[in-house]
Amino acid sequence: MYSIEAKSLTKSFGDLIAVNDVSFSVEKGEIFGFLGPNGAGKSTTMMIFTTLLKPTSGNAVIAGFDVMKDAKHVRENIGFVQQETTVDEYLTGRENLLLQAKLNHIPKNEINKRIDEVLDLIELSDKQDQAVVTYSGGMRKRLDIAGGLLHHPKVLFLDEPTVGLDIQTRRKIWEYIKKIHIEFEMTIFVTTHYMEEADNLCDRIGIIDGGKIQVIDSPQNMKNALGNEIISLVVENNNNNDSFLAELKKIEFIKKINQDDSKLTLFTSNGTEVIPKIFQISSELGIKIITISLTQPTLDDVFISYTGHEIRDDKSKFNRKIEHAKMKRLRA
Amino acid sequence: MNSVMYDTYTIFWRELKRYKKSRSGVLIRLIQPAIWIIVVGNIFSETQPLIQSVGFEGEYIEFMAPGVIILTAIFTSIFGGVNTLWDRRYGFMNKALTSPISRSAIALGKMSAISLIAALQASLIIGIALAIGVTFPNPLMIIPIMGIVILFSLGFSGISVTLAATAKSQETFWGMINLLGMPLFMLSPALFPLELLPNWLAVVAKLNPVTYTVLLVRELMTGVSEGGVPILISIAVIFAFVVAMVAIASYVFTREVNKPF
Repeated sequence: MYSIEAKSLTKSFGDLIAVNDVSFSVEKGEIFGFLGPNGAGKSTTMMIFTTLLKPTSGNAVIAGFDVMKDAKHVRENIGFVQQETTVDEYLTGRENLLLQAKLNHIPKNEINKRIDEVLDLIELSDKQDQAVVTYSGGMRKRLDIAGGLLHHPKVLFLDEPTVGLDIQTRRKIWEYIKKIHIEFEMTIFVTTHYMEEADNLCDRIGIIDGGKIQVIDSPQNMKNALGNEIISLVVENNNNNDSFLAELKKIEFIKKINQDDSKLTLFTSNGTEVIPKIFQISSELGIKIITISLTQPTLDDVFISYTGHEIRDDKSKFNRKIEHAKMKRLRA
Repeated sequence: MNSVMYDTYTIFWRELKRYKKSRSGVLIRLIQPAIWIIVVGNIFSETQPLIQSVGFEGEYIEFMAPGVIILTAIFTSIFGGVNTLWDRRYGFMNKALTSPISRSAIALGKMSAISLIAALQASLIIGIALAIGVTFPNPLMIIPIMGIVILFSLGFSGISVTLAATAKSQETFWGMINLLGMPLFMLSPALFPLELLPNWLAVVAKLNPVTYTVLLVRELMTGVSEGGVPILISIAVIFAFVVAMVAIASYVFTREVNKPF
């Protein structure tokens, strides 16, 4: 059974198409990541899934309910943790969760038990009676996430869960998300523009750019498609270089070699076995290796290979006029 | 229906929690009406002959105290909806909208909380009035007066929630509030008897629900009936005003929050 099914989902604001004919499905129990730069259509898609926006055409089914026809049942079965922290600063942590519990119609005799349970999970039990105004950014985020779990939703939506947090806090939040996933067996749909986050958390990733899905696969498969390891080496210039290159090409695991002057980039598998072979060839030919390194392709490499531009550096695609028109329409 | 009541109470509870935590807000809201009753009440004390001409025997400050109670109710409740804008800006609204609670319950919960807060503020003003020498011939009358203030504030909170739901920015909201609040207060017998208004203004004043509320509260407080409006008519007008405003606010709010902000 699918937890999320998007069927030719399209959302336009006037003549601007924010989400363009998007179809995909997320299986029950998956952590699915929606990866793309700002303005790619991630948030718009999530707003449709959480019943905040109606699609222009197409449809979405969440936890078995139609977002158009059965919005109320969708709302009963989802948790939504927004990008900005939405906890009430002047209430205590516990009061915030109490409010969330009431909003989600948790039976009265269950409320305290559920609050204790999530407070324990996010390790805020000792701070629960302090006003949120005294919490750090990471603690607020954790409280927000806890609020989304109270009613044990079937699908949890996390919109950019670690944006604006420092790297340690970010890792901590990932741990909590993984813990939640195991403990509550819920489907988690997360949008992010951090490669590392998608790589770290998600079973599968959909790369979205310009309102369209470019590719959906597991992070590992995406990286494997590029060859799963990269060896970079710099050699001293020598007139034996050509025969060195020819010998390297004979190593069976090497898929492709890029040469840039004295710098060689080898796309390969079984890198740890390849390296000794490289040394052997170089000593036979009397070639001096200055540096050598073995790295794994990152999702950054994957993103570039699918979209033709880097996730952060998408100036070529950023059209100020279009963005401005879009924001104006969103506000109108 | 049961769940609408529960949801309304949830939002009501949240709004009151926020009010309770903002102690400075309680005081700030009191400053303006306190200035009115203390400063204006004393400056105009020489106008006693004017109010005597309509059959009112007491001090001017006793005449205008009910007006200031209503002033407090008007301004506390008409400002009260502003946090709707914050809620939409800072995500609480989306949180509520993606939970299974009913949309109109959000509006109803806000309105009922605002009207209770307005009544609490008005009761503090009654306290100030008593402290500076205003007397109640029948102290028990405070109970029906508070009832009327709560009811009347509910109507004004409806105006506030309607404006806040349609306003796209703080500036629009404050502009509209100022456009409405002061004229509605001034075009009523809050400070001077209706009989002193030129005819055409008196006609306008008679269309203003504030007029009936002030007359009713003053009659309950001082026992003097003026303007020739029977109590039952005043009560009927207030009820009609409140029902209309609450209905409009629930409808407009539900329609507006479904649009992206």
